[in-house]
Amino acid sequence: MLKTSTTDVVSEKKAATTQRHGFRLNAKDNYYASIFLGPSLLVLGLFVFYPMLKTLYISLFLTNTLGKTTVYVGLSNYAKLISSPDFISSMGVTLFYVAAVTVLTVGLGLLLANLASQKLPGIGIFRTLYSVTMGVSVSVAAIFWLFIFNPSTGFFALLSNALNLPVVNWLTNPTSAMWAVIITTVWMNLGFTFLILLGAIQSVPNTLYEAADVEGASPRFQFFNITIPMISPTLFFVSTITIIGSFKSFGLIDLITKGGPTNATNMLVYRIYKDAFYSGNYAKSSAEAIILTIIIAFFTLLQFKFLEKKVNY
Amino acid sequence: MAKYKKLTLPLILILGIVLVAIFGKAISAKSATNDNRTEVVFWHEMGGPSEQALEKVVDGFNKSQIKYKVVPKYQGSYDEAIQKILQTHNTSTSPAVFQAFDISTAQMLHSGYTTPVQDFIDEDHYDVSKISSVARAFYANDGKQQAMPFNTSQPVLYYNASLLKKYGITPPPVSPSYSDITRVAKELYEKSGHKTKGMTVQVYGWFMEQALANANRQIANNNDGHTGNPTKVNIDNPDTVEFLKWIKENIKADDFIDYGSGASAGANQTAGFLSDKVGIFIQSSASIGQLSKNNKNELGITYFPHPDGKKANGVAIGGAALWISNDKPKNVQRGAFEFIKYTLKPEVQAEWQKATGYLALNKDSQKTSTLKDLYAKNPASKVPGEQLANAKANFANSGILMEGMQLARQLEEVAMETVYNGGDINSALKTADRSINENLTQLNKANGYK
Repeated sequence: MLKTSTTDVVSEKKAATTQRHGFRLNAKDNYYASIFLGPSLLVLGLFVFYPMLKTLYISLFLTNTLGKTTVYVGLSNYAKLISSPDFISSMGVTLFYVAAVTVLTVGLGLLLANLASQKLPGIGIFRTLYSVTMGVSVSVAAIFWLFIFNPSTGFFALLSNALNLPVVNWLTNPTSAMWAVIITTVWMNLGFTFLILLGAIQSVPNTLYEAADVEGASPRFQFFNITIPMISPTLFFVSTITIIGSFKSFGLIDLITKGGPTNATNMLVYRIYKDAFYSGNYAKSSAEAIILTIIIAFFTLLQFKFLEKKVNY
Repeated sequence: MAKYKKLTLPLILILGIVLVAIFGKAISAKSATNDNRTEVVFWHEMGGPSEQALEKVVDGFNKSQIKYKVVPKYQGSYDEAIQKILQTHNTSTSPAVFQAFDISTAQMLHSGYTTPVQDFIDEDHYDVSKISSVARAFYANDGKQQAMPFNTSQPVLYYNASLLKKYGITPPPVSPSYSDITRVAKELYEKSGHKTKGMTVQVYGWFMEQALANANRQIANNNDGHTGNPTKVNIDNPDTVEFLKWIKENIKADDFIDYGSGASAGANQTAGFLSDKVGIFIQSSASIGQLSKNNKNELGITYFPHPDGKKANGVAIGGAALWISNDKPKNVQRGAFEFIKYTLKPEVQAEWQKATGYLALNKDSQKTSTLKDLYAKNPASKVPGEQLANAKANFANSGILMEGMQLARQLEEVAMETVYNGGDINSALKTADRSINENLTQLNKANGYK
């Protein structure tokens, strides 16, 4: 009975398809398609595709003081960038930052989520505490951390003074400035990552753990062989979001280091902004923007190609 | 009937858009006609206490007017405002009068987007002789006043006079040399039992440029751009090396503290100075207001330091000028000039100096009771004005009339940071020179300058 009904549906569908000449849209479909897709196509075209193409166009020229394209230079803007040690170091810095932020955010988020998923009295307080940074805006976080990093009156400086340790000048030393930005970003991201991962861990069916307990599996074994595989789609989602988000990181860098010292935290996005809106060099920043687009597209593809296969849906 | 049904949805959409357009326009038109006066939109970049003082100036103008009404709009930092001004030109959002900072002068001049204030000066037979000639010269080209200086500052050296007194250290002389400052900084650091760092110089390209101006050193060819468009920049010169060596010597002696670059560095530095963590620093005279308020110590001010064995040439002015956009109707531009004239009145400039530390540009301001009271109460606040008056204008201290100065400044700052972090002075300056010149060549090519 069941089988027959399924065949019926299939044959009906087939009939419909033949009528429509193999999914080709007829006039009526075209009309509705344009009504439904039109507005979003218009908006996307105007605000996404047109600027993208325009950026590509500008990157092939030199721009004058007014930001207008004047001299056609072909790919020379790209060639100059790729051979400039400044730009290469910016790329290196960006990759390091993205890697550090992603590993730390996801790692710490997972650790905290795992801790907070234990059923203990008062655990709700910790769940709230761990996710509280979600409600903090970038500017508040930046000012808050700037106070902490202040070399004269900051928390770290006072602590070092009290312990008779040398004061680390967080924001003026290239290495520590990078870590200052990383710490702040991870701190900012942690709340969201924690909350998403906690939700995922809590939705793992309890029966799996019960079965494992019966088999005598250790908590460590359970974590790596039940929790991780079961939340892998969420882990994948969170790490993709973090990678893309940290490539685009701007606010914290602008507020904390402004790309300094000695360009140590001058990430690609910040460099693009500075070249365009500080120096007025739209040609250079357009070329940089295109390069950044290619890099992000490459990483996203890589992730979907290799990581996605390992994900349990 | 079915034929028309198809059209319903698009028709509703179109109707909606038309309605929004009509009513949107009506609503915005209504708000504009609330006041019968002509609106003059004024873009500025004054934040904090200076913004409040500026709003007072605008209020004063609006109260004195029945024809024009100035609407001030804050546009963020000096750096960011330039691109906003250039990119909104010829649109309805663009300003009628705007404030643009010193190093954008060449850019604004070449943009062709402004009406020289000289046109209005001639029309009105306005007497400019009362306005500081050094400040006027900075924004003039070919004998024509392009923009009117408004907020003019000088970089000066601040020190904690109370701390020096407490430890019995002789304060630096009025026009100190590098070694004078080193002496005071070292003594302060030692006598305070390493509790107070002697000095800091913020990583800020402006300070490096001023050190060169004070050493009578031109950075760009064609007399720093005053006799032709520059084609070459030379940061790597003995005077820059001496300036950076001075800083390096103090870093080695450990009496120097580095607060880095940018706005947060400025804030940290001020906090450090006010909490006795550092005794000497260089900053714009426009910080006097902030540094006198909430300061439990006596504030000492002297001239910008000069190299040993050389006479101080005087530093260039900093700050910004007011420009009139040429994309607005004649009567709006007229209103803009009326506002500019108002800002330069003796009493307005005197109040402005008192509130902000920017120097009063009208010579008659010195006769007002506002400034006389200020000097009586705080004699040190006289110093920046005297420094300005003592400098004889020449090419080296009249600013660098060159496009691409914003990038040049960033690269100068990278060079400074490299040295502060222990890098080699000569190679840092060579790197800066290479990048600045590369950019300059490209910019000249893009603009079609010879």
